[in-house]
Amino acid sequence: MTRQHFWNGSATALVVIGVLWMLTHATSAQTPAAAAGTKSEAAASTPKMPDGKPDLNGTWDNGRSTFGFAANAGNVTTCVFGCQPFGQGGGAAAGPRPGPGRPVYKPEFVSKVKMLDDQQVKLDPALYCKPPGLPRIGPPDKIVQTPGQVVFLYDDLSGAFFRIVPTDGRRHRADVDPTYLGDSVGHWEGDTLVIEATNFNDDSWLGDNGLFHTTNLKVTERLRRTGNTIAYTVTVEDPAVLAAPWAMRPRTLSLTDQELIEPAPCVEKSLEHVLDGTHHDNAR
Amino acid sequence: MNLRLVAAAAAFAVATGTQASAHHSVEGAFEPTKRMQLTGVISKVQWTNPHIYLYLDVKDGANVTTWELETIPTAAMRRAGVTMKMLMGGGQTVVVDAYPARDGTKNLAFILRVTYPDGHSYQLYNNPDATR
Repeated sequence: MTRQHFWNGSATALVVIGVLWMLTHATSAQTPAAAAGTKSEAAASTPKMPDGKPDLNGTWDNGRSTFGFAANAGNVTTCVFGCQPFGQGGGAAAGPRPGPGRPVYKPEFVSKVKMLDDQQVKLDPALYCKPPGLPRIGPPDKIVQTPGQVVFLYDDLSGAFFRIVPTDGRRHRADVDPTYLGDSVGHWEGDTLVIEATNFNDDSWLGDNGLFHTTNLKVTERLRRTGNTIAYTVTVEDPAVLAAPWAMRPRTLSLTDQELIEPAPCVEKSLEHVLDGTHHDNAR
Repeated sequence: MNLRLVAAAAAFAVATGTQASAHHSVEGAFEPTKRMQLTGVISKVQWTNPHIYLYLDVKDGANVTTWELETIPTAAMRRAGVTMKMLMGGGQTVVVDAYPARDGTKNLAFILRVTYPDGHSYQLYNNPDATR
């Protein structure tokens, strides 16, 4: 990967994030909460936008986007990582969560997946700071919704990413090159936002384990807000290599009143020291 | 959501002797059977993904050796509420439990825990007391 390419992309994304942040605060019908943290799931009714669509605006905790408050004095140990069982006691929330599952490949591609899987430390583009691609990037960390479009913002290990998803009925663009996150268009099916993404390059994996895809990849996401949560599901189709469409493990996103900040730069310099090729699971 | 975790949680980890994720390349690059302890001053924190790095100046008589100490990603640190400034420790002398590099690279290690002079500490990987 070229570092210059990465920085150019990140800089662009951060400018867009800044603009969209202001846009959100000007248009969101959501009431900001006073206290930090994930909002009560029980609180409620599902807010609507002026156009009657469910209001998806907000920062959504999918396990990586919230802030805690560790002790900085006194005889106290803050367990940041390595605590068991994960998720208990608060400080262990950064531990691994269930993976996304894995698709079934056509028989003739099983050996290729195994080869890539065996050499993940050397061959996985995302481990070297390249964009993780869709759907590997996971659910959005923040959603900005205006009439006719939604924008997804991501704080990823590889940097800041965004997707602009028209919901005004337009079709996929025909004037852009293939990308890691593809070209997305959305529509509403009742209260569910359905997004179809196509026009991908093939320089990303679907997951950590050699799960390659082709440029024929098609990803369909569904987001349905109920109260202060969003049910996020993804179906992956790549008939050239997959034996059947793959439904990833569903995720539940929780509304939080915390805000995204500028992600740290991605600078990989550890993998050259890995001696035995052990996998580097990296659930997003 | 307050993510503060006090000594009771660390005690739980000690009692159960539990480990962090096993399917992870930390043990591919660092040697868990050769746990080490370093004492020095943190001179720099490199706040990057997929790993944060702390640089620890360790004195040996008149000589100072700077160790490069790898740790977890920024999101994990942030989720627990640990900031770059908190890790720096204000120039005080800290104690770091760590795994050394498996490939023999000098002065490179992976952090298990950082302990500050007043007794507070951040466990950043397997509990060093449980892996003795």
